[in-house]
Amino acid sequence: MSLINAHGITKVYRLGRVDVPALRGVDVQVEQGEYVAITGPSGSGKSTLMHILGCLDSPSDGEYHLDGADISALRGRALARIRNQKVGFVFQTFNLMPRMTIDENVALPLQYRGGFSRRERLKRARALLERLGLGDRIGHRPDELSGGERQRVAVARSLVGEPAMLLVDEPTGNLDSKAGAEVLRTFREVHNAGNTIVMVTHDMHVAAEAQRSIHIADGKIAA
Amino acid sequence: MSFLEALLVGLAEARRHLGQTLLSLLGLILGTASIVTVLALFGGQTKQTQQFVAEVGGAGTVIVRDREQSQQLSATELASDRMTYEDAEYLKDNATTLSAVAPGWAPTMRYQAGDRDFPGQVIGTTPDYAIINDIRPMVGRYISDLDVRRRARVLVLGWKFADSLFGHPEAALGKLVRLDGKAFTVVGVLEREVFQFAVWSGNALEYRNERAYIPITTAFALYMGTETRIAFLTLRAATPTGARAATEQVGSMLFLRHGVEDFDITPSGAGANDDAQFFLLFNFIFLVVGVISLIAGGVVIANILIASVVERVREFGTRMALGATGMQIFAQVLAQVVVIAVLGGLAGLGLGAALTGTVAILMRMPAAVTVEIATVAIATSLSVGIVAGLYPAFRAARLSPVEALRYG
Repeated sequence: MSLINAHGITKVYRLGRVDVPALRGVDVQVEQGEYVAITGPSGSGKSTLMHILGCLDSPSDGEYHLDGADISALRGRALARIRNQKVGFVFQTFNLMPRMTIDENVALPLQYRGGFSRRERLKRARALLERLGLGDRIGHRPDELSGGERQRVAVARSLVGEPAMLLVDEPTGNLDSKAGAEVLRTFREVHNAGNTIVMVTHDMHVAAEAQRSIHIADGKIAA
Repeated sequence: MSFLEALLVGLAEARRHLGQTLLSLLGLILGTASIVTVLALFGGQTKQTQQFVAEVGGAGTVIVRDREQSQQLSATELASDRMTYEDAEYLKDNATTLSAVAPGWAPTMRYQAGDRDFPGQVIGTTPDYAIINDIRPMVGRYISDLDVRRRARVLVLGWKFADSLFGHPEAALGKLVRLDGKAFTVVGVLEREVFQFAVWSGNALEYRNERAYIPITTAFALYMGTETRIAFLTLRAATPTGARAATEQVGSMLFLRHGVEDFDITPSGAGANDDAQFFLLFNFIFLVVGVISLIAGGVVIANILIASVVERVREFGTRMALGATGMQIFAQVLAQVVVIAVLGGLAGLGLGAALTGTVAILMRMPAAVTVEIATVAIATSLSVGIVAGLYPAFRAARLSPVEALRYG
């Protein structure tokens, strides 16, 4: 069975008295260890698809299995648990906690998972930061780092909980081309280490990094 | 994330914005300080009232007075001799619940010594009076049993009158004083009695310095002929807690002797409550100010927390994406408010202690911040903080992750 198995996913938003369909029956399959890009213009529904694949939101209709678990019916607390265990998010704007050191930031998902001592969490976080070449930045706060470094901290944070997949949203959108290339290289390394990556982007150059692309337009898969 | 960890994060947050935190806590601090001050002063006053009661005879002292009579007297009322010296003698011999009985005859008389001349109270009584009222002579002695038996023309002066008549109190010993023209020898001068409730209030015991004591038998023989009516009876119960039993026994004994209940029995020191009334108003104002400050403080905290939640919507969204449950977000916000509420409580406690100390010194009132008061203060400000934090915490916890991430 595929790692991601989404079938007939629809999502309808209710704006006042009008129903706005964002997704109209999308099928997505991603295998363990794949590197997939989801592309499409803004308003195409790719963000909505990402939210559903990332378990931040539930589909209005359709079936979604992630790593063998049926997600479609889960809400609230159960969904939070799945996010924590199976999904590692990387955002366009990094979304690091400004008042925490980068090692504390990276350790945060383990804090929410529970069962790890603070010492153990920070040990794992620091090991990951070392692996991603940020060892000399340990103990610093995000605002003391460059944009590229911050995004690599975010990658470390997404990996710390050993999730089933990384869900990446426009990872280079806030970076210059040099820092962007650096971050993309990091994703390549992470992928080569066996991780599954689903990347949402509208940038064709970025999408070219992936093994294949899923193109969304008007709430449907276009090609 | 455990609640303890959330507390530590909250503490770090508060420390980073210490000035802002204290400012937002102003209402809470002032409210807590007010309540601490009220409780400390109230505790001091209660202690002081107890001291005053002890000073004027203590628990277990009972006073019997004639009951005010109506215009139209009934037959039984007319038949009664009312309170007499014989009642006192009878109680002394027969009331098992009493350890001391002192009758009191208390007219106003004219004092004369040398060229000094003024009116003042005279108490005709027995030696038991000194025991019951804890009266100590400064020089000389008090009235003795022998004085009472012999109807001796001896006089014990209160400090103030001794001072007024003879310039300084010690000089009075052995001198002659005329009361309504009849001469007495001064055999004792009493210690000065002083009790101040507050710096602005006078000596609550000054009336005791402005009187003289003579043997009650002498008083009757010189001024009353055959009549032995007395103005009051002061009684001491056999045990400090025996006032109730004494009141019942004395009541039934006097009723049997008089044939009518033409007397009132009251515990001593009841008058001290009049002074305490004054402080009640004072306390009430402080308390109202405190409660209003706490409410205002709570509203301010709630507002600031809501603003802080709105400011951090994306942060909460990110935390939710990383796996935080609504409950964990709720705990995080609440932990933050617990930390600042405890900080506010501590600051209020400190301010309240300083205020209490200042008031205590300026007004010469005993007041102390006890462990109980400190506990109440911290608990109060913690409760206010938690109540204020519930809604903002609930709002943060209820955020939809998608909308929170998209926010701003």
